[in-house]
Amino acid sequence: MKLSKGFYAAAVVVVIAVLAAAPLFLSGYHLALGISLLYFTVLATAWALFSGPTHYISLATAAFFGIGAYTTAALPDLLPIPLVLLIAAAVGVAIALVVGLSTLRLSGIYFVIFSFGLSELIRQLVTWYEVNIHGSVGRYIFAETTTQGIYWRLLALALAVFGVTWLIRHSRLGLAVRVIGQDEMVARHCGIDTTRAKLALFAISAAFMTVTGAIMAPRWTYIDPAIAFNPTISFEVVIMALFGGAGALFGPLLGAVPLVLLFELLIGNFPNYFSILLGLVFVLIVYALPQGVFGLLEARFPKVRRAASATGMSALAEKLVGPVWPRAAKREMAGDAPVLQLAGLRKSFGGLVAVDNLSFELRRGEILGLIGPNGSGKTTALNLISGAIAPDSGEIKLEGRPIAMLPAHRIAQRGVARTFQLVRVLGASTCLENVIAGLAFHSNALWGAAAEQRARELLTRVGLGDKADMPAGQFTYIDQKRLELARALALSPDVLLLDEWLAGLNPSELHVGIALVKMLRDEGLTIIIVEHMMDAIRSLCDRCVVMSAGAKIAEGPPAAVLSDKEVIRAYLGGAGD
Amino acid sequence: MTLALDIVLSGLVLGGMYALFALGLTLQYGIARIMNLSYGEFLIAAAFGALFLYTGMAVNPIVGMLAVVPAAFGLNWLLYQIVLMPLVKRAKSQGMLEVDSILGTFGILFVIQGVMLVVFGGSLQSYSYLSIPIHILGTTLALNRILALAFALIIAGVLYLFLTRTRYGIAMRAIAVNPVAAQLSGINIRAASALAFAAGGAIVGAGGVLTSMFLTFSAASGVVFTMKALIVVIMGGVGNMMGALVAGLLLGIAETAVARLVDPGLTIAVTYALFLGALLWRPTGLFGRPAR
Repeated sequence: MKLSKGFYAAAVVVVIAVLAAAPLFLSGYHLALGISLLYFTVLATAWALFSGPTHYISLATAAFFGIGAYTTAALPDLLPIPLVLLIAAAVGVAIALVVGLSTLRLSGIYFVIFSFGLSELIRQLVTWYEVNIHGSVGRYIFAETTTQGIYWRLLALALAVFGVTWLIRHSRLGLAVRVIGQDEMVARHCGIDTTRAKLALFAISAAFMTVTGAIMAPRWTYIDPAIAFNPTISFEVVIMALFGGAGALFGPLLGAVPLVLLFELLIGNFPNYFSILLGLVFVLIVYALPQGVFGLLEARFPKVRRAASATGMSALAEKLVGPVWPRAAKREMAGDAPVLQLAGLRKSFGGLVAVDNLSFELRRGEILGLIGPNGSGKTTALNLISGAIAPDSGEIKLEGRPIAMLPAHRIAQRGVARTFQLVRVLGASTCLENVIAGLAFHSNALWGAAAEQRARELLTRVGLGDKADMPAGQFTYIDQKRLELARALALSPDVLLLDEWLAGLNPSELHVGIALVKMLRDEGLTIIIVEHMMDAIRSLCDRCVVMSAGAKIAEGPPAAVLSDKEVIRAYLGGAGD
Repeated sequence: MTLALDIVLSGLVLGGMYALFALGLTLQYGIARIMNLSYGEFLIAAAFGALFLYTGMAVNPIVGMLAVVPAAFGLNWLLYQIVLMPLVKRAKSQGMLEVDSILGTFGILFVIQGVMLVVFGGSLQSYSYLSIPIHILGTTLALNRILALAFALIIAGVLYLFLTRTRYGIAMRAIAVNPVAAQLSGINIRAASALAFAAGGAIVGAGGVLTSMFLTFSAASGVVFTMKALIVVIMGGVGNMMGALVAGLLLGIAETAVARLVDPGLTIAVTYALFLGALLWRPTGLFGRPAR
C-alpha cells in the first residue's frame, strides 16, 4: 500500500504538470476547449461542495458567475489581476451571506425557490444600475491578459477548489453538513449550528463561482447583463455535478469532462435545438443515474466506495477550516441547585394545548420518570427542554441559567442530550460516524484519533463494538436504538433525555437496557425517561411526574403516584367517577 | 389620485392573474407534491396557443380557451402519468420526491422552452383583442383586462366549490394534509394526484390565455411566471387558497406601483423584496400553517 501511495502522488504531479504545460502546445480551438473544461469543472465542483452534502439544490450558479464577470468589467482595467479576483471573491461571499442568511434558516424549499430566480433578480438590478446610473447597458473589458493566462488561472483555481473541498470533507465542517444533509434535527441535537455550517459552505462555494466569472470575463471583450447572467450555466453545472455524482470529491470532474465535450458537439451540430437536447440529457440523467456515474461505480465496486467516501478526519484540515466555528458554550455547574428547573411552561399547536403550565425540578443524579397516557404532552415537554421547539411562555433553567429561548444546538452544547421516540440514525453514515457526530461539536469536542477511540469505546459500551464500521441504515431496530444512545452519550451530557428508549425491547434486552440506564445514573448522569412500561419505571425511577392533557397531575415516588386515584383515572378513563 | 387609482386597478388585474397562477401551482405542489419548475412554460405555451388561434384562425381567445384548457389538462395528466410517475414511485420520502421533481421538471423546462424557441422564435409577442378603454371612477382600463380578471375570479370560484363541496375535492384536500392517512381511508392517491396535477395544468393554461390578451410574452418568459407563482404560493402558505389570493393581489399592486413610479425593469426586485419580507416576518406564509 505504501508503494502505491507514492505512485499515486507521482501520478498526480505528472498530470498537473502535463495540464500546466498544455497551453504551450495547444492553440486556438483546443485551448478554448481546455478553458471550457476547466471552468465547468470548477463550477460543478464548487456547486457540489455545497449542494452535494446538504441536498439543497442551488440554481444560482449563473448569478455568482455573472457577479464575478461584472466585477472584472466594472473595476478599472489597470488593477492587478490578483486584486480583481480577491475583490470578486469578497463580493460573491457578501451576496451569498445575504442570500443565505435570509433563506438557509428556513426549510430547503425556500432556498431552492430563491436561488431559482436569483440570477434574474441580479440581472435586473445590474441592468437598472447600468442604464440609469452608469449610462449604458454594456461594458468593454480591456484587461491585459492572454488566453494562456486565463487557462493557467483556471487551472490554479481548479486545484484550489479540489484542495478546499478535500479539507472541508476531512474537517468538522464537512461532518456537520453530512449530518445536516441526512437529518437536520439530529444535527442540531448533536450541537451543530446548522445555519452557520450551511452558510459557511454556501459562501465558500459562491466565492469559487464568482472568481471563475472574474477570470473568464476577459474572454468576452464586451459584456452586458444578458451575456453575464446566462441561466443556462446554472443548468449545465447542475447536470454535470449530478451526472458525475455530487457526493464524491472527483464526481463533478467525472461529469464535467464528458458533458462539456457532448455540449460542444451538440451546439456545433444542432445550434437551434441545443436547449431541447440539453433538457433531454438532463431528464435522462435524473431518471437513469440518480446517484451519478460515481454512484454506479460504487454499487459495482465496493473498493471504489471506500476510496470515494473516505472522508475521515484530518487534524490539519480541522486546523485550517476550524475557525468557521465559534467556541462552544462552556458548561456551568451550579453546585447543589437543581440541574433543571421548569416553571409555568406552555406550548400550544393551534387550538391544542400540548403542554399547559408545567413546572418541575430535576435533582442532580436522579432518574425522573415523565409518564402519562398517550397524547399527554410528554414528548412535547422533552422537545421544549432540548430546544427542538420553543415554548409560548414559561421558563426553563439549566444549572440556574435560562435556556428556554436558546436554539437546540446551544442547549446540546451545554450538556443536554436526547434520544428520539421514533429512532433517528444517520442511515448513510457508518456507525462510527454517527457517534463522532455527537463527539465533535460540544465544548470538549474531540477530533481525529482521539474521537475515533472514544467513539469505539462508547459503541462497545452499548454493545455495538463489532459493528462500528457498518452503515447504520442496515441495523435492526434495537441496534439503531443502541446507536442513538451512544450518540447521545458522546455529547458527554449532564442531562440525558430518553424518549421511550426501552419501548420495543424484548424481555432479555429490557433487562440489559435497565441495567445500562442504572449504570449511567450511578456514573453521575441526571436522566429523564419518558416511558410506558411500568415495571421499568418502578425499578428505575427515583421520582415520577405524571402528565395528563398537557398538565402535571401528580409528582412523587413511583409507588405513590402509580396508586394515586387521579393518575389511575387518567390512564384508565373515568372508572373512578 | 388618478395615478393611485390607476395603479390599484391595474395591480388588481395583474394580481388576480398571479393568484390564479398560484392556485394551479398549489394544486400541483400541495396535492400532487410535485415542485414543478416548468409551470410557467405551460403558461407561455397556452399563450402561444391563444395567439395562434387568434391571429391564424381568427378564433377569439375566450372561445380559444375551450381548446387550450382541455389540451393543457390532457398534456399535464400525461406528463404526470408518464414522466413524473417513475419519480413518484422511486421516492422513499417526500423530501426525495421534492428534490427529484425539482430536477426532473427543471429539465422539462428547457425542453419545452427549446421547442417553443424553435417553433415561434425568440421575439416578444402580443396581439390586440378587445383593447377598448373602459372608464371606471375617472380612470381607464382596457376591456380585455377586466374580462381576464372576471374569468380568473370565475375559475377560482369553481375551484373553491370543487374542493369544498365535492367528494373528489375533499379527497384532494385529504391528500394535501396527509397522503398516508388519505390512502388508508380508501383514497386512490395516484389517481387523485394525477388529477390534481392536470387540474393545475388546466388552470395555468387558462391563465396563459387570459394573460396573453393584455401582456406581451416571449418563449423565454416562462421562468419569471413560475417564480412569481412559487413566491405567491409560499407567501400565502402552501395549500391556502385565501392566502394565495391575498398574496397574489399584494404582489400585483406592489409590482404595478414600482413599474409606474420607479422603473418597469425592477418588477423581480419587488417580488423578491416582498418574498423576503414575508419570510422574515412570518416564515410559514401569511396565512400558513407550518410548512412541511
